[in-house]
Amino acid sequence: MTGTGPIASSGEPPAPPAPPAPGCSGSRVEVAGLSWRPYGRARPVLDELDLTIAAGERVLLAGPSGSGKSTLLRALAGLLLTADSGELSGEVTLDGEHGHRAGAVGLVLQDPGAGVVASTIGRDVAFGLENVGLPRGVMPARVAAALSEVGLDLPPDASPLTLSGGEAQRLALAGALVMEPRLLLLDEPTAMLDAATAAGVREVVADLVERRRLTLVVVEHRLDGWIDLVDRLVVLDLDGCIVADGPPDDVLADHADSLVQQGIWVPGAPEPQPVDVALSPAPQAAGGIVAPGQAVVAGTGLGVERRSRRLGSTSRSTTAVADVDLDVVAGQVTALTGPSGAGKTTLMAAIGGLLAPTTGRVAMAAPLTPAGDGNSSDGSGSRQGVTGRARRGPRRPAVDRSRPPHEWSSVDLARVVAWVPQRAATAVVGRTVRDDVLTTARALGHDGTDAETRADELLATLGLTRLAGTDPRHLSGGEQRRLAVASAIAHGPALVLADEPTVGQDRLTWAAVMGTLEAARREGAGVLVTTHDPGVVSRADRQVTLRRPPQPPPDPEPERRPLLARVGPLALLAAALCVLPLPALLGTWRQGLVVLGVELTLGLIGLIAPGPGRRPQGRLRGVLARLAPAAVAVAGVAWSAWLLGGRDLEIAAGAALRVLCLIVPSAFVVGFIDPERLGDHLAQRLRLPARPVVAATAALQRLQSFDDLWTELMTTRRVRGIRADRGLVRRGAEAVAVTGGLLVGALGQAAGLALAMDARGFAEAHRRSWAGSAPWRLPDSLAVLAGLVVIGAAVAAQSLVG
Amino acid sequence: MSTTITASGPLTRWRTIDLLTCAFLGVAFGVAYWAWGLAYEAPSTAVSAMFPPLSALFAWPWLVAGIVGMLIIRRPGAAVFTELLAAVVSALIGTQWGLTTLVSGLLQGLGVELGFALFGYAVYSWAPLLVGGFLGGAFEAVYEWYSYWTDWGFGYKITYLLLLGGSVAIFGSLLAVGLTKLLANAGALSAFPPGQEARERAAV
Repeated sequence: MTGTGPIASSGEPPAPPAPPAPGCSGSRVEVAGLSWRPYGRARPVLDELDLTIAAGERVLLAGPSGSGKSTLLRALAGLLLTADSGELSGEVTLDGEHGHRAGAVGLVLQDPGAGVVASTIGRDVAFGLENVGLPRGVMPARVAAALSEVGLDLPPDASPLTLSGGEAQRLALAGALVMEPRLLLLDEPTAMLDAATAAGVREVVADLVERRRLTLVVVEHRLDGWIDLVDRLVVLDLDGCIVADGPPDDVLADHADSLVQQGIWVPGAPEPQPVDVALSPAPQAAGGIVAPGQAVVAGTGLGVERRSRRLGSTSRSTTAVADVDLDVVAGQVTALTGPSGAGKTTLMAAIGGLLAPTTGRVAMAAPLTPAGDGNSSDGSGSRQGVTGRARRGPRRPAVDRSRPPHEWSSVDLARVVAWVPQRAATAVVGRTVRDDVLTTARALGHDGTDAETRADELLATLGLTRLAGTDPRHLSGGEQRRLAVASAIAHGPALVLADEPTVGQDRLTWAAVMGTLEAARREGAGVLVTTHDPGVVSRADRQVTLRRPPQPPPDPEPERRPLLARVGPLALLAAALCVLPLPALLGTWRQGLVVLGVELTLGLIGLIAPGPGRRPQGRLRGVLARLAPAAVAVAGVAWSAWLLGGRDLEIAAGAALRVLCLIVPSAFVVGFIDPERLGDHLAQRLRLPARPVVAATAALQRLQSFDDLWTELMTTRRVRGIRADRGLVRRGAEAVAVTGGLLVGALGQAAGLALAMDARGFAEAHRRSWAGSAPWRLPDSLAVLAGLVVIGAAVAAQSLVG
Repeated sequence: MSTTITASGPLTRWRTIDLLTCAFLGVAFGVAYWAWGLAYEAPSTAVSAMFPPLSALFAWPWLVAGIVGMLIIRRPGAAVFTELLAAVVSALIGTQWGLTTLVSGLLQGLGVELGFALFGYAVYSWAPLLVGGFLGGAFEAVYEWYSYWTDWGFGYKITYLLLLGGSVAIFGSLLAVGLTKLLANAGALSAFPPGQEARERAAV
């Protein structure tokens, strides 16, 4: 939900068709006796599979969750062993050959953005070209051609992080196309997109497959849209065997019913019916306290500003939500819709007290607030409860006296609010599936048999009973999604927030999720759902549509760049590390003071920003912020030296200044080091091995996502009632647990990225070229000279100052 | 860790997922290191008041990244790569030691690396953990003698080295083994030897 690109996420026309590339045509694919059993699984995922795909054929691969569709796709790309280990037998050939040139097989993954490797879209598309060692000069033209072929009309220096889901999938397509593939593999490319955006992506795929006459294999469990685009439908079953294969219409005519039963979205099949989730009441439930039709929560004039941070550049602030009023009403489902980037997720988090709004206020109905006794003490909350409409403009909030929910304790919040995040995997908090469902009830002290009965009923109706003792992290995506909704409503919350709960789900999980949310509605909870799914909207009691908030206009006048910003990263690093010999050179505090003076002078000169343009802000503040923790370290060293040096202040000052001289240069330069450019320089100037450098810079691009993941894990704990609000030991234990979760998430990202990178020829990229140059200019030499001046000053001080 | 599974293929041929896993571990640990840097000062200064070399007892967490990287990847260079990248990330976010953190990261990684190299990258049990952990701590201690503890006497310096080496060898190894187990049990290491070991155990 961070898309702020200038282009709407849907409906833009594809670029005018380019002439077909000469000699470009699809590959013939042959799979013979392919079996694959990942270690630790009793049964193979693919079992003696045979499949032949003619050159230029377009195949849709369908099957229930867990039938090995994605596995087969990875096998076709030769990437099965990239992110997993197991027993592989049989063979896959392309045009009769076992291996294939880098990029001959293009792969696009389900999760938009999972394969992004660079900080600009131009560099990202060029990644495959770098891997095959193409000269830098020819890259821009080929990158521009690929971007225009997928209709991504953005400048090459745009950031991939601000793309909408549809744009991100086009970027992934461009990254594959630039390598002139002959076989294109798409792994549920539209599962995470709304209908209109998905249609746009399909149009691009149809167009380029037609023009380039590519062989196409698409994995999808939502067949509508794709079915008209392919000439063959292959269906896998849960044993990894092909059960149907032929022209789409024939296969559908014979197998439509069984496909529907397996959860596949078949065009023309009736909407699935939500599962009837009948539950015993939750003990001491908050849901139902507010009378149906009254507002559970009222948000007035809500606005949220978000800051994004990136290494080596200044933080930017964007308006995620601006001046929105929203009520959620007890016993109703409210569908929150709007284009990607409209701030639906952020608004939902603000209304549920998961984050603090920048402006406006959130008021929970009085009987739900921690101070309330649960029986509506003075009735004002229910009498003045606002009606179920979203409207703009001033009005009396339902409750005045209470603290806003984002200030509530974890347990108080958990009693009232439940949250199903978009990524169900991060919602896991229990050791077993049953534990997970009972977590919040236990945190609230409702751990009697009533709570357990209800939890078991939930597991039974959602088809999770046989998994009750399993580690929830080992569940499939669909199972995790069902678990997340079950855990959210198990303790009977009054406000249920669900973020895109049906995206990418098959019919079975769709019915389970919707049934659970409707059960919460029947129990009197107010349910708020962000969604693009027409099936969800049509079942909601009301729909609130958000528009993308207006963004502050970009500054017309560019900022002047400080001198340090004109220095390359390698020179900055060298200059800051020049000072390493200082501890050996500085004897007394006077010498230290001289050198420190020289360092500060040079550093301040580096911050000067000459030339035309707007004056840059916060240069000195950044340096001071970086020196603040250093002050404590310096004090520590000084203290230790003072203690040992016979409590002599001069010795203590000398030690302190020695450390300070070591640190101060870094405080000036660190903010100007861009990781990607540092990678370019390390590989091209210092000739460090290319692949580790690329891996490191790709990981550094994801720093922001680690920040987001950490916040999400902590928010999950808070809303589940197990956030450690106080106590050093409890908070320490929590930090360890969340760090573990962060590492699991990080390694998951690494595995996804490894697939995407190997699909673009990274595995064999031992001699790669670089899309970014690594020039050494005058400012670089001057920076290193400045570092040497510091050393010179130290040597001079040794002889001149006592 | 009774049966040791080593990395597949030639040990020096890093797969993409080996590189990326080291890199992502490095970045994640870099963030954690930065946070530990903020938390570390108060307790370490407090114990320094009693006996300065005791601050070593709060410095061992900074070597965990390299040990975890080596325990997971099991290829030459894993400890140096992971530890160095963690140092880079913490320095770029901004630690109290600035870019000199890179020198610490390199030396710490080299020490740990040496421990596993002595056993030919074939053993991933307590022996290389203790040796590597101690060497990593010792390398860092020697660097700190020179850059921070210039005014200490030799007795203090040796005590600091022994305390840092010993605490990395014991506490650092314990934490690293625990984290590796946690990741393996979470199913996050299926492409790596520890993940395969976990699955083999479950299969029995």
